[in-house]
Amino acid sequence: MNLIAISINHRTAPVDLREAVYLKEDEIRPFINLAKEHQIKEGLILSTCNRTEIFGIPNSNETNHEKFQNLLLNFKPTQNITEQHFQKFVSREAIKHLFCVAAGIDSLLIGDNQVFKQVKDSFQIAEETQFAGYIMHRIFDAAIRTGKRAISETAISEGAVTVSYAAVQLTEKIFSNLSKKSALVIGTGETGEIAAKHLSEKGIGSLAVTNRTQEKAERLSEKLNAKVIPFTEFRESIHRFDIIISATASPEILVSKDDVKNALKKRGNNAMILMDIAVPRDIDPETKKIDYVFYHDLDSLNIIVEQNLMKRKSEIPKVEKIIEEELDNFWEWYNSLQAAPAIKDLRDFFEEIRNEEVEKNKNKFVSEDQEKLDIVTKRIINKILHHPTIELRKTDETSASADTSTKIGIIRDLFGIYPKKNSEKD
Amino acid sequence: MISGIHTINILLPIFYLATLVVYFYDFLKEEKKLINIKRVFLFITLLLHLIYIVLRTIAFDHPPITNVFEIFTILAITISFSYFLVELVSDIRGTGPFIIILPLIFQLISSLFIQDLTEVKEVLRNNLLGIHVISALLGYSGFTISAVYGFLYLVLYKDIKLNKFGLIFNRLPNLEVLERLSLYSAVIGFITLTIAIVIGIIWLPIAFPNFSYLDPKLVGSTLVWLLYAAGITSKIMGKWRGKKLVILSISGFIVAIITTILSNFLAQSFHSFY
Repeated sequence: MNLIAISINHRTAPVDLREAVYLKEDEIRPFINLAKEHQIKEGLILSTCNRTEIFGIPNSNETNHEKFQNLLLNFKPTQNITEQHFQKFVSREAIKHLFCVAAGIDSLLIGDNQVFKQVKDSFQIAEETQFAGYIMHRIFDAAIRTGKRAISETAISEGAVTVSYAAVQLTEKIFSNLSKKSALVIGTGETGEIAAKHLSEKGIGSLAVTNRTQEKAERLSEKLNAKVIPFTEFRESIHRFDIIISATASPEILVSKDDVKNALKKRGNNAMILMDIAVPRDIDPETKKIDYVFYHDLDSLNIIVEQNLMKRKSEIPKVEKIIEEELDNFWEWYNSLQAAPAIKDLRDFFEEIRNEEVEKNKNKFVSEDQEKLDIVTKRIINKILHHPTIELRKTDETSASADTSTKIGIIRDLFGIYPKKNSEKD
Repeated sequence: MISGIHTINILLPIFYLATLVVYFYDFLKEEKKLINIKRVFLFITLLLHLIYIVLRTIAFDHPPITNVFEIFTILAITISFSYFLVELVSDIRGTGPFIIILPLIFQLISSLFIQDLTEVKEVLRNNLLGIHVISALLGYSGFTISAVYGFLYLVLYKDIKLNKFGLIFNRLPNLEVLERLSLYSAVIGFITLTIAIVIGIIWLPIAFPNFSYLDPKLVGSTLVWLLYAAGITSKIMGKWRGKKLVILSISGFIVAIITTILSNFLAQSFHSFY
């Protein structure tokens, strides 16, 4: 198979180089047109913050990895990128790499669900731009199946692997129903915003945000349908919240032990969760000594993150097994697209129908005509199959293998002639 | 029939052990396919246990409630049946092994020491006595399960506070659910114990001429009843919750154990038959 792939990713290049070749969605379409002009008839472009990858089936055998690289670097002129920053794959290895990416085991964050969505989006772009031919389409289906199986059959995507998500998961170990709880997020920087989003996604009953710069808090509150509490007043209202997540850049403690004690009294000792994901800390760590107060800081949340990452890593062999299975299935299908076995399967298929009908009907003929019936029907089948057979042999000898495979694939699909599995053959 | 009863008597602890092993394995591995397998194990064990009790009742012409080892086998089935219901209704995983170990212990002791009694006091063949004893046992089973959930609450509470995110943290349901399970079991236990006490107070003076309101078992049960009544009331009033409530449940269970031991083995009264 002449599938070629190049990849510049988190393992091969630093972030500035990855950023330099990153293709935004509105850049991918013109790039696909460019690729088509350069003899790549079908393929896939995947570009995320951690990787930019080009998969393609060239028209001629002269197209190689270097041409793919030059195509990208001409489109996104970038200095300091050398050949070493690219991983190269061909044929089965290229498909395997795509499956690994879709299943999340090639990600910076093992088991990252995000990449599976990005892979699906790039498939869609390839389909929309007619960059996905018969073979690529089949590869996409297999890659999506691999990704789905990895998520459903293994624990590769389970458990929180970011601090803000670990904070939310920890709250679920204390409270049973977040829709009946209220939360306050102090600080609406990146971390605070992510934590607020996670809470909102988990269906928190009511969400409030506060920030030193009020406008920022208001912007986030609009996005998440949250209330805004003025920064100068939030201390007086902490008793109204079951969960408080703090992620400000404040150099001093914002919530003291006494604040929490008073709040707890006002709440009638209803449990409170305090997640301090700021450095330096925003909430007095002494609050952890108070009964019914669950105080956690970055260190403790990182324990959860590390444990989950370890767990995900231990799932990699299971995912690799799924990848190998899907790869074998795909390969078996692909091999059935060779000219010689396909011609044989096609002829066998017609012969079987002919034979069945002759056997069924021969008694309607007198015995001396029965042999003639056999000869005549054989001749009809031979005539029907003469042209397709010659055509397939010719394509196999003269054009690129992708063309032959496509034609054979279509014939197999039309007649429903699929290669028999080994067990069936036995 | 007798030989069948003897065989099941040996099989029951083995079945409980097998069920416990499956539950414990599920606790460690949490594999999806085990969810139904473990329930099938528990169901078969319960079914076998039920057949055993029915056979005993028929063969020896009295329900197995006349001595401590007969009562232990009833306690085993009531605890495991209550847990089976809890698991079906709440769909909560991870607490099974901590409960199922109790019926295993009770059944093991019962299987080792139980005797084929055909001669029992006439009063012990009474139907009202059956309801009195079984509702009392259901009450104590409820308190036992409540105490186990309370204990698990405390362990998880401590683990979360101390940043210990191990097996307990990963497998047990959340604190609010554990608190609720502990409360519900206690409420069910409380209701059934109330029935037992009411029947006892009405019927016992009629059945036993030497009945005394100062009987140690009656005093002990009333004490336990009062403790749970106080706990449940304070929860309903919204005064006590979380850690305090589960500590109360565990204390109630300990008092129940102590009073049972004291009244059964130390004190002699009309209420003792063995």
